[in-house]
Amino acid sequence: MLNVIRSEAIRIAQRRTLLIWFGLMAGFAVMVNTVMGSALSASTGGLPTPGVSLPTREELETSSGIVAGLWSASNMFGVVTLSLWAFFTAQDYSSGLIRLLVASEPNRIRLLAGKAITLAAFTALAVTVAVIANIVAAPAIGGSGISTAAWGQDLPAVLGKAWINLYLSQLIWGALGLVIAVVSRSAMTAVSLGVGYVLTVESVVRMIDGAPVDQLLGTTLGAIAKGGTEVVSYQTAATLGLGYGLIGFIIAGLVFVRRDVTD
Amino acid sequence: MTVVVTENLTRQFGQVKALDAVSLQLPKGGVIGLVGPNGSGKSTLIRTLLGLIRATSGTAEVLGHSTNRPGEYASRVGVLIENPAFVGSLSAEKNLLSLAALRGIPASRVGQVLKQVGLAGREHEPVRSFSLGMKQRLGIASALLTSPDLLILDEPTNGLDPAGIVEIRGLLKTLAKEGRTVVVSSHLLSELESICDHLVIIRFGKVLFNGPMSQMLERTGAYIDIDTERDADRSALAKALKAAGWKVDVTADGLRVHAAKNRSAELNRFASEAKITLVRIAVAQESLEDLFLEMTGRTDGELAESRAAVKGRNK
Repeated sequence: MLNVIRSEAIRIAQRRTLLIWFGLMAGFAVMVNTVMGSALSASTGGLPTPGVSLPTREELETSSGIVAGLWSASNMFGVVTLSLWAFFTAQDYSSGLIRLLVASEPNRIRLLAGKAITLAAFTALAVTVAVIANIVAAPAIGGSGISTAAWGQDLPAVLGKAWINLYLSQLIWGALGLVIAVVSRSAMTAVSLGVGYVLTVESVVRMIDGAPVDQLLGTTLGAIAKGGTEVVSYQTAATLGLGYGLIGFIIAGLVFVRRDVTD
Repeated sequence: MTVVVTENLTRQFGQVKALDAVSLQLPKGGVIGLVGPNGSGKSTLIRTLLGLIRATSGTAEVLGHSTNRPGEYASRVGVLIENPAFVGSLSAEKNLLSLAALRGIPASRVGQVLKQVGLAGREHEPVRSFSLGMKQRLGIASALLTSPDLLILDEPTNGLDPAGIVEIRGLLKTLAKEGRTVVVSSHLLSELESICDHLVIIRFGKVLFNGPMSQMLERTGAYIDIDTERDADRSALAKALKAAGWKVDVTADGLRVHAAKNRSAELNRFASEAKITLVRIAVAQESLEDLFLEMTGRTDGELAESRAAVKGRNK
């Protein structure tokens, strides 16, 4: 397994791609924190923005308010993570490298697990970048008349919890990207499905009366990133999210092991 | 000693049998040519041997291990499958380092194989800037990483210039001399005939020939090309010759009689007695390529027609 992880790490550690990945994470963190204050000035919160779930003024003024940008933009981060996991997985198919990889390491489950572990390690870095960018950009919210007096209380615990929750949600987003890429063998398809789902499908489903909104992927993973919401508890979201991830991995594993490597 | 053994190996894709009950024994050592037209089943055979695709029926062994458990021989086999596949944005060295890491091979081996294929000095360049020939060399370098007992190279000279082809041929010969078995596929026999010790010819998933190169050479025969003064006499002469026991093919510009050159006078007399005047008598020796084309079909159109006929029969 270590050999697979080392091999994947060499291929994934491409400066340009990592810059895009980490840059997007940092960019979204900064962007959400920058717009959050002015958006809240015009509303009491909870704006129905596709992919972004803005906090209320009360939430922002608690000690956890400093990391509100992270869970607000968690689904946008999720789309980035899904896209990058899908890209690195589908790249093996589009380049034809998959033939050489499977011929070199015929244990396909080991190959898939090694790739997932390596991507999970890089995702940890990406989440760390997002958290740092968030901390740097969060003071911008204070300029919108929101009290930040409570922000310093218990800061390490707040940041640690925010990191873990965001990381967990990103792992599930990434796993879904990997699954779609393995099944479709196309990064473009995986990215289109991911972005289309978050920005369109969930928004439309939310408009339907009686729709199981609290079980939707974006809602679930958003709730994990936030540490639970009024609609979905953290425990329920985590169970559901891990269930999504597990089912995804089983599908990806079955497809990857059983399918012929023909191209 | 054999490196590959297959028994009734069959792989079917829908109606088409890419491999049709292939039974083979490939000897250890030397260069083994796997030759056949495009779509003949070469790549399917190679992928089945490497465990990339599963056989519909039949069995196969590589280095004494079943292809159902490719992990048992993967570390002893070096492969280049169709076009060399690398991450274009990474350097040649990083691509090989990644593959070396996957196989648990020390990084120091990367420099050695790059030098072996003539890419030393280009290792830091991104692969996307490489020509097809350079990518082929890099593909061969990746196949050599494990110092394999068995090398399986699918069309390794594809895209190389003539000098590159000669160089790769030399490299393959050297590798075989070091005691390795090198299986090389190509759709052109002429590319391989000078280096092969053993030859497998495959067409429509069936093995047409499997044996030492010398045995194939023995099959090449002499022939006499003749032509009649009047076009109308051609078919009559062909019919008469066949009736008299001669082996005759009708060609675009006359008749080809498969016979030794010392029978040309006899052939001339035969035509004369049949009141047919010959305007051309030319003796020649059949080349290996002629024999190959005769066995596999001369043109893509001919192949497509034959393939359609086979599919029709299978229905």
